[in-house]
Amino acid sequence: MAAEDLPSEFDVVILGTGLAESVVAAACSRVGQRVLHLDRNSYYAANWASFTFNGLLTWIQQHHEESQPEEVQDWSSLLEEGEELIYLSYSDSTSISNLQVFCFTSEEDEGEEAQSPDPPNTTEEETAANGDEDAVKAASTDSTNEDPKDKIKEVTDGEGEGQQTADSEGVEPTADLPRPSAIQGQSEASRKKISYAQLVKEGRQFNIDLVSKLMFSRGSLVDLLIKSNVSRYAEFKNVTRILTYRHGNVEQVPCSRADVFASRQLSVVEKRKLMRFLTSCLEETEEQQAYNGRPYLEFLCDQQLGDNLEHFLLHSIAMVTEDTPTEVGLASTRHFLRCLGRYGNTPFLFPVYGLGEIPQCFCRMSAVFGGVYCLRHSVRCLLVDKDNRCKAVIDSRGQRISCSHFVVDSSYVATEQKKVTTPTRFLSRAILITDASILPSNSGQQVSMVTVPPIAAGFPVVMMVELCSSTMTCLPGTYLVHLTCQSVGSAFDDLSPVVTKMFHTPETDDQETRPSVLWCLYFNMADGLDVEVEGHNLPSNVYLCSGPDGHLGHDHAIRQAQLIFQKILPEEDFCPPAPNPEDVLYDGESLLPTGGGGGDNSGWGEKGEETKENPQTEE
Amino acid sequence: MAIRELKVCLLGDTGVGKSSIVCRFVQDHFDHNISPTIGASFLTKTVPCGNELHKFLIWDTAGQERFHSLAPMYYRGSAAAVIVYDITKLDSFQTLKKWVKELKEHGPEDIVVAIAGNKNDLGDIREVPMKEAKEFAESIAAIFIETSARNAVNVEELFQKISKQIPPLEHSEVDSNESFKLTRQPAASTRRCC
Repeated sequence: MAAEDLPSEFDVVILGTGLAESVVAAACSRVGQRVLHLDRNSYYAANWASFTFNGLLTWIQQHHEESQPEEVQDWSSLLEEGEELIYLSYSDSTSISNLQVFCFTSEEDEGEEAQSPDPPNTTEEETAANGDEDAVKAASTDSTNEDPKDKIKEVTDGEGEGQQTADSEGVEPTADLPRPSAIQGQSEASRKKISYAQLVKEGRQFNIDLVSKLMFSRGSLVDLLIKSNVSRYAEFKNVTRILTYRHGNVEQVPCSRADVFASRQLSVVEKRKLMRFLTSCLEETEEQQAYNGRPYLEFLCDQQLGDNLEHFLLHSIAMVTEDTPTEVGLASTRHFLRCLGRYGNTPFLFPVYGLGEIPQCFCRMSAVFGGVYCLRHSVRCLLVDKDNRCKAVIDSRGQRISCSHFVVDSSYVATEQKKVTTPTRFLSRAILITDASILPSNSGQQVSMVTVPPIAAGFPVVMMVELCSSTMTCLPGTYLVHLTCQSVGSAFDDLSPVVTKMFHTPETDDQETRPSVLWCLYFNMADGLDVEVEGHNLPSNVYLCSGPDGHLGHDHAIRQAQLIFQKILPEEDFCPPAPNPEDVLYDGESLLPTGGGGGDNSGWGEKGEETKENPQTEE
Repeated sequence: MAIRELKVCLLGDTGVGKSSIVCRFVQDHFDHNISPTIGASFLTKTVPCGNELHKFLIWDTAGQERFHSLAPMYYRGSAAAVIVYDITKLDSFQTLKKWVKELKEHGPEDIVVAIAGNKNDLGDIREVPMKEAKEFAESIAAIFIETSARNAVNVEELFQKISKQIPPLEHSEVDSNESFKLTRQPAASTRRCC
């Protein structure tokens, strides 16, 4: 589209489309603020994004390339008297690090296709796949080498440099391809390996999240989605089971009343003890208070529950570590229990198509209420007046855009402008595509949360989420596994021991019964938990959003968004319900929403009823 | 009759009349100075089709097309897409191919595509020959129709054609963990812990 200029006056300019920024955008637009929402990327949701397989390859590539040196441009002609410039950083070079990719599956399909490597009538999709193959050779090394062990060569930041530029559009396979029958007929019995070429060809069926979180069914994100009516833009699935890794096995954690009764691994005595414990911990007692400040594990030990129950309660239900204080452990146990049974048998929900949908939903809400959206567009610098307020910004095209408030993802802000009390912490992430579930079940369509206690002293607690294809995040016949922990070392150092213990990789050749890893990615991401909204070397009307944090839920981002909104508009309601479609009235001038979310079908709700009866009637 | 909800997403350049078409279809109303759609998440209208009632949930771009920043979630789960161009603006027809490409990239595989040449009441300043547009639509197996939201020409017909092309509902798989919407009053669960 031709380079249309942006309007030059807004109330709030927001840079970055992560979760917190998107919620702020929706909240501000909803109450009538003129919002401009920009992102330097070509995709939504920044480090909260989800990608198709091919999109992820492009993302990996972009992080291997060195960022362009910043062009210093002279914007002084755009300055008004008494104004000063603050430059933003040109690219995000710090939030993602230590990318390592491994491909453990064959490059090409075994069988017919492999026998004719160069078919005479190359179709469009094959060309696309081949084109991409070049891109991936950089990542998974020499395809002619038959020894799988030699394929475990990784790409580190250095090696991938200056290689191909994988164009995401070029590698997207055509939409209307029939699905290979090999995948449809996949069963546990015949585990024919899915080739790398197939992952690329069917890459659109993946929606791979950069962050791995779950939504607590009574958490602040679910409450906000419902309150604001943003929930109508997305669909959700229940996490169907909670698993834990223990003594080299994956076990199901009984957490609801039904689970406890149905459990085969618990003795009758254990069932009774667990029920009694869970019932008693809902209320705060004097006995519990006596343990304040002492480890939760100690409290659990003194309840004489036995090893089994202690493990479940500590790692899978409270999801805390051995030295977490009792009051914190009990609080998270209660939160877990409160969330049970609202929608399903576990406390968690997962959005269909992945977590990357959620920021997009809030962006749409903002757009529906007039927010202006522009991807591949950034802000170069801020114009600051004598009172240390940001009056305007200069965008990446050199246009001056005035604003009263500026909200920005912290990765756009240069380090020297940020005040951080502690050194940046990192999260370690691993993303695996596997060929079977870690605990096979009849339906094969389970969404599992897996708690993995430290595998040895000094190793972190790992949260693992296994997604099945019905969540629309992976190809049928595959599973998408996300591992997350607080970094101790690099993502590979922290997580590959867990992967080797729980999955079948070329390094664990003797463990063929475990799910095989077809492809995996390790990386570190900055933990946004310590980044404050205010208090930086920035104008007083500039607010920072931290990027993703390491907690399982979304409370951190929602709290940030709410805080920023209250700073900008202290008098206004935060995300009041958007009107129902049936309540939008047309008054001849513009489409105006009436009333709130009630069931009042006034206006053309009634008309809708008429048309239902007799749709052909013209006026 | 069973009501079946069908998401329809609208595509096309700013100003070709996407909102006007929906407005005409849903409210049978036309306004010359329609302001960009504010506050409407999507509009709905129910029409019968065979043994079913089709409740169209029509999603507007909400202006996100203006700087080419539509989100992939916009296309999720759409049963049909209507790509609109303005017959008096050749540019808007030329960008049609771009929208088709975008739809192929982000849209569901089995989506019904309709191409609507709007503003056919302005035939005297036409820039896009009907024949050319029709041939293009045929080449991508899309429904083709010229409409006038202003004069209420072919708007109902557009949606009727879409209705007819929607494949009948399959009851093939019963997913025990079906996806659902979050609502104000969540379904009461019989299972509670403790």
